[in-house]
Amino acid sequence: MLAQQYASIKRDLDERGIVFSFSGYLSEGILYSLGEALREKMALEEADGPTIRRVFSVFVEQMQNIIRYSAEKMSGSAGRTVELSAGMVTIGMEGGKVFIVCGNTVRNSEVPRLKERLDHLKSLDRDGIKTYYREQLREEPDDGSRGATLGLIEIARRASDPIDYDFDAMDADRSFFCLKVRV
Amino acid sequence: MDSLTLPATGRTPGVFFDFAGGHLRMTGESYPDDVAGFFGPVFESLRDFLDRPDGGAIRFDMELLYFNSSSAKALMNIFQMLETVARGGRPVTVTWCVEENDESMRELGEDFAEDLRHVVFQMRELPAGGAP
Repeated sequence: MLAQQYASIKRDLDERGIVFSFSGYLSEGILYSLGEALREKMALEEADGPTIRRVFSVFVEQMQNIIRYSAEKMSGSAGRTVELSAGMVTIGMEGGKVFIVCGNTVRNSEVPRLKERLDHLKSLDRDGIKTYYREQLREEPDDGSRGATLGLIEIARRASDPIDYDFDAMDADRSFFCLKVRV
Repeated sequence: MDSLTLPATGRTPGVFFDFAGGHLRMTGESYPDDVAGFFGPVFESLRDFLDRPDGGAIRFDMELLYFNSSSAKALMNIFQMLETVARGGRPVTVTWCVEENDESMRELGEDFAEDLRHVVFQMRELPAGGAP
């Protein structure tokens, strides 16, 4: 029963082409370790440096978005501040491309602003994204964003197809947010 | 204090600022878990150096292979500091190193160079094969 249950989860992941998956509390330490494993795997498959860095770059920005903005967080300051943020990350292959999907809980009050940013990014072509990046690079970060705008532009820029996002309402206060990027 | 040397770690860049020789260099990769904590002291010692009245020529070699978006902001800050002293008449040359075929890094170099008017900016291609 036990093996059957987990084999079925594993099979489901395999069938979706998912190579790495993590669900639970994420931290900068987990970002680092997962990122290293991701790069090692791609290097073993003989991907070239620039391709590995493009995938890695999307991975880092997505993970840092969860760590900073997940609405489900634990923090303490036992000696040093540790930020644990709940979310999930899956990395897989689909039609010869790497995809990275990140998911985390967000507050409903933040949904309209996030949607607006993502729709704006989706509406831009390559040159538009480049111009937007140049503007934001020189901009002071807006309140509470901790540099999120530039991170999202970086993601859109490294993506080979337009980014996909979705929200699933959980209750009156929170929604589950997903962002899928193909590189 | 005539130099600032911070060896590269897994996620913080190598910083080699030789203030006496006017040669600044950054290598490796930059995606610190605490960007402000890492770059704060770097900015501080760079600012002290740039404020000195005896302004000789400055060379900055940007050899990073990868940096995340928060490090991009920090790098931009350094570029703006350099542009300010260059505007004041101090010769400053920035060399943006790019591994061959790394179009993303080349494009980023163009993004950073866009509003440099007084800093001399050059792009240098390095052979592929650095850390992935």
